[in-house]
This record gives sequence, C-alpha cells and structure tokens, in this order.
Amino acid sequence: MKRPLAIVLIGAAILLLGVLPFFALPYHVRVGQLFLLSAVLALGWHILGGFAGYWSFGHTAFVGLGAFAAGLLNFHFKLPPMLGFVAGTLLGGLVSAGFAALVAYPVLRLRGIYFAIALLGMSQVLGELAQNVDAFQGALGLTLPDVAPDALRPEVFFYYCFLALAVGSFALAAWIRSSKLGYGLAAIREDEDTARMLGVPTERYKIITLVLSAGLTGLAGAVYAYSLGYFTAGSVFRVDFSLNMILHSLLGGIGTLTGPVIGAALLVFVTNVLLGQLLDLHLLVTGVLVIALVLLAPNGLLGVARRWRERKGR
Amino acid sequence: MNLLLQTLLDGLVLGGVFSLAAAGFSLIFGVMNVVNLTHGIIVLIGAYLAWSAQHFLGLDPLLAIPGIMILLFFAGYAYQRTLIQSAVDRSSLLASLLVTFGVALVLRNLLVLVYGPDFKSITPSYAFTNIKLGALSIDMVRLSALGASLALIALLAFVLYRTDWGRVIRATAQQDFAAGLCGVNVRHVYGLTFGVASAFAGAAGAVIGIVLPFAPPDEGHWTMKAFAVVVLGGVGSPAGALLGGLLLGLINTFTAQFIGPAFPNAMMFLVLVLMLMIRPNGLLGSAFGGSR
Repeated sequence: MKRPLAIVLIGAAILLLGVLPFFALPYHVRVGQLFLLSAVLALGWHILGGFAGYWSFGHTAFVGLGAFAAGLLNFHFKLPPMLGFVAGTLLGGLVSAGFAALVAYPVLRLRGIYFAIALLGMSQVLGELAQNVDAFQGALGLTLPDVAPDALRPEVFFYYCFLALAVGSFALAAWIRSSKLGYGLAAIREDEDTARMLGVPTERYKIITLVLSAGLTGLAGAVYAYSLGYFTAGSVFRVDFSLNMILHSLLGGIGTLTGPVIGAALLVFVTNVLLGQLLDLHLLVTGVLVIALVLLAPNGLLGVARRWRERKGR
Repeated sequence: MNLLLQTLLDGLVLGGVFSLAAAGFSLIFGVMNVVNLTHGIIVLIGAYLAWSAQHFLGLDPLLAIPGIMILLFFAGYAYQRTLIQSAVDRSSLLASLLVTFGVALVLRNLLVLVYGPDFKSITPSYAFTNIKLGALSIDMVRLSALGASLALIALLAFVLYRTDWGRVIRATAQQDFAAGLCGVNVRHVYGLTFGVASAFAGAAGAVIGIVLPFAPPDEGHWTMKAFAVVVLGGVGSPAGALLGGLLLGLINTFTAQFIGPAFPNAMMFLVLVLMLMIRPNGLLGSAFGGSR
C-alpha cells in the first residue's frame, strides 16, 4: 500500500472509532471497549512475539501486575479518584516493566517453546501468589472507585481510555518497526545467531523489547482493572488473555503493523456478536476457528491478502 | 518422623500417577518436537471412558485399561496423520501448538456436552480397604494406582527398548531424515508415536480416575503437569518421566504439608521456571538442541 494512503486510512479509522460512541448502543460500546483492550494487548504482545519472534504464553502476568499495582495503590493510599487512576495506571505500567526488566536476562536466554513455557510458568506463579498471599488480597478482591466524569457514561469513558492506549500502542509499534531497533528485532526473528555475529546487540534489543511490551501490557491491565471496578486474581491472571493476544496477532498476520488490530477486531466481533447465541458451543466454535486459521491461513489475513494481490498482479 | 514418612509415601504414590500421565507427552515431545496441548484432554478422555466402563458395564477401571488403550491408540494415530501432520507441514512447530490447543478446546466442549460439567469420580469395589505398614497407612486404591502406574511405565519402556516399533521410533527421534533414508516410513512412525502416547495417556486417565475426582476444565492442569514432569526429568525417555513425576509428587505433598495447602501449584511452576533456567535439558536429558 502507498504510504500516504495508509496514513489517510488509519486516520479515518481512528476518527471513526472516536465518534462511534455517539451513535452506538451501550452494548456495542462495550464490545468496542473490549476490542480496543484486545488491540492494545495484541499490539503489546506483538512487539515481542511478532517483531522479535519470541512467543510469550504468559503475558497475562503483566496484565495482572498492572492491575494489582493500581489496585493496591488505591487500597493503601486514599488518593482522590482521578489522581489515583492516573497514578495507578502509570504505576501499573512501571511495575510491569520493572518486573520484566528483572526477569528479562534469564528468561530471554531461552528460545522457542522453552521461552513460551517459562513465561507461562511465570504467569501461573504470579497468579497463584496473588491468589494465596494475603497481602495481595487476590482472593478477596480489590475495589476501585468510579472515576468516570459525570458528563460521560462509564463505558464511554473507558472506551476513550482504551482508544487512547490503542492509538499510543500503535504509534509505538510503528515507531519501533521503522527504527534501528525494529530492524534489529527482525534480524533476531529471522536468525538470532547470524544477527549477533553481524553486530546486532541481540541481548540489549530483546531486553528493551520485553520491557516495552510488558510496560504497555501493564498500563492496559491497570486501566482494565479500573474499568471492572472490582477484580480478583482470577479476573486478571487469565490464560485466555495470553492466548487471545497470540490468536489476534496470528489471525491478522505476524510481523505486520496492522495485523494485531485487524485480528482483534475480527475475533472480538465474531465471538461476542455472532456467537452470542451459542453459549454452549462457544469453546467448540473457537477451537474450530483456531484450527482452521492455522491450517488455512498460516500467515494471517494480511498474508492471504498479499498472496491474492500478487496473483492478481501477475 | 511419622508425618515425614507419610508425606514421603503419599508423594511417591501421587508421583507415580504423574509419571504415567507425563510419559506419553514426553514421548511426543522427544520424537516429534511437538508440544501436545491435547495431552491433558486425552488423559481425561481415558478417565471418562473408565468411568463409563464402570457405570454402564460394571467393569473395574483397571481392567478397562487394555480396551481404553486400544481405542485411543487408533484415535491418536488418526489424529496425528490428519491434523497434526498437516499443521507441521504447512507452518511452524509453534503453529502445531495452536492446533493442538484448538483441538483441546473442541474436545473439552464435547466432554461437557456428553458428560456434563460436574466433577466425577470412580469408586472401585476395594475403595475403602486400608493397609497398615507400622504407623503408616495406605489405602488399596492408591496402592493399586501406584502399582498400575509402575507396571505401565515398565511396559512403555519395554515397547521402546525391546520391540521393532520402539527401535524405529527411537531412530526417528534421533534423526528423522537419516531414518527415512534407511527405509523407515517417517510419517507412519510419527503416527505410531502419537498412537502409543495417546494409549498411555488414556491408561493414565483411568488410573487418575480412581485416585482423584476429575472434570473437563482440569485438562489444562494435566497438560501443565506433564510439561513440568518433562522439564524436571528430561525429554523423551520413560526413566526421565518416572524421575520427574516422582519428584513432582514429592514437591506437591511436601509443599502442601509444610508450607500450605494453597501453594503446591505455585511451587511446581516455580521449580519449573528455575529448572528451565538452570538446566533446560532436565535431570536425565541429553543435550537437546531445541532448548537454546
């Protein structure tokens, strides 16, 4: 696609999403909110999983860390709601990024499936600790104040919060992709040993990327906690969060910029609107969808589109 | 002292079941390098089949094991030759991870539709008999579960190390290309491996069924436990699965007894993560290229 055209299209999409709450029903705003949250999470995962090829199966750990940082801040220091929201969100991002920086060096020495499972294990440990250590209150749950201003309905307020995060994440991803870091990550994804031999500082790049990815996910986790109002360890340490990030990226197209967003839009729409009537068969249909996706479109929808364009051009 | 010994004994019994449940997973991982996320659900299918055998036919769950193994062998063979192989052919191994996850979701949903979402348990006729060993006590159910687990692991080792099937499976695990050059039909061997692994997973399910209650959402736990066992013990060998399983059983009961009943899972994953960092090959594993 031509660059100016792409910028116009993305601008139009953001504008459309910006005015959507004025027309849509509250339920559709909720679905939109879920889509934007999923898009932020998928973009956050994709910086590491898509650009660098390090597939994490435990990114929900960072959602949980962000949520608990915000929740515990509010619990221990009674800040005014709006200040608490902003401070909690920033703290959530910081705690996530800090924790990622702490574990980055050892876990990033692992590759492929071992890295994936190490992070899955890490997310399970954190989830169990949040659930069982009394100081974290994960079993009882944490309550957060209502921070939506009077002029806006809560779902609209959080819709815009997630929209802002999504636009920010997209900009960050776009910047990374076109920067030196992005080219380094692509080299790591294709062949890490060769990249290292050619002078790409692989360790540093991987650590920076994991920290950015975790920080972004932590921010989203904190805002998600506020949008819930009340959460327990079980509502933020969720394996399906980790999984959906992967699925959305895979559906859209790994390594592309818009892929995770397109994937999130499509899958959230399908599972929430189309499958709303089939609650008993929800897992079954999702499972069939996953299988079909991997077998029929291993490079995602954007991969299918590219192949189609190439065939037509020939 | 008695508490310590009793915890040790309970840990070994639990560990025997874990070992058996992980042996098939370890085999598939070692031979095909595929992480089979369907493993937990196959274990559960074994448990549900054993439950049905007892409920409808009045058959003892341990006697139902041969039938379950034959059934799941063919199912596993067909599953590998159709879905898994095409996933491996078409794209990366990570994609086969997603395919197996999708299949696990489908099967879990089907189990809920057929058997309902509630916990089920199997009560054999000897359920309430106890054996005293001095001050220690062990019930017949656990004793027979441990016995069955050890016997089945020995059977798996026999198949792998003393039969023609085992020889071609091990050859393919070492180098599939060279095995193919020597006349081994590699795709057929992959199918066989999956079939054998599924058969043993199903048998493990029948054994688990008499020791613990089970429900469809448990499948993720059994897959994760299998992974932990493999990481602890080492990929691909029944001996590794046995060692890893026994260790995991001990970690479980000792944590529950001396730290708190809420912490065995956290401890298990902590050990898993530490082990991945210190020695990703597992205690008995040989140098395995995929880990680094």
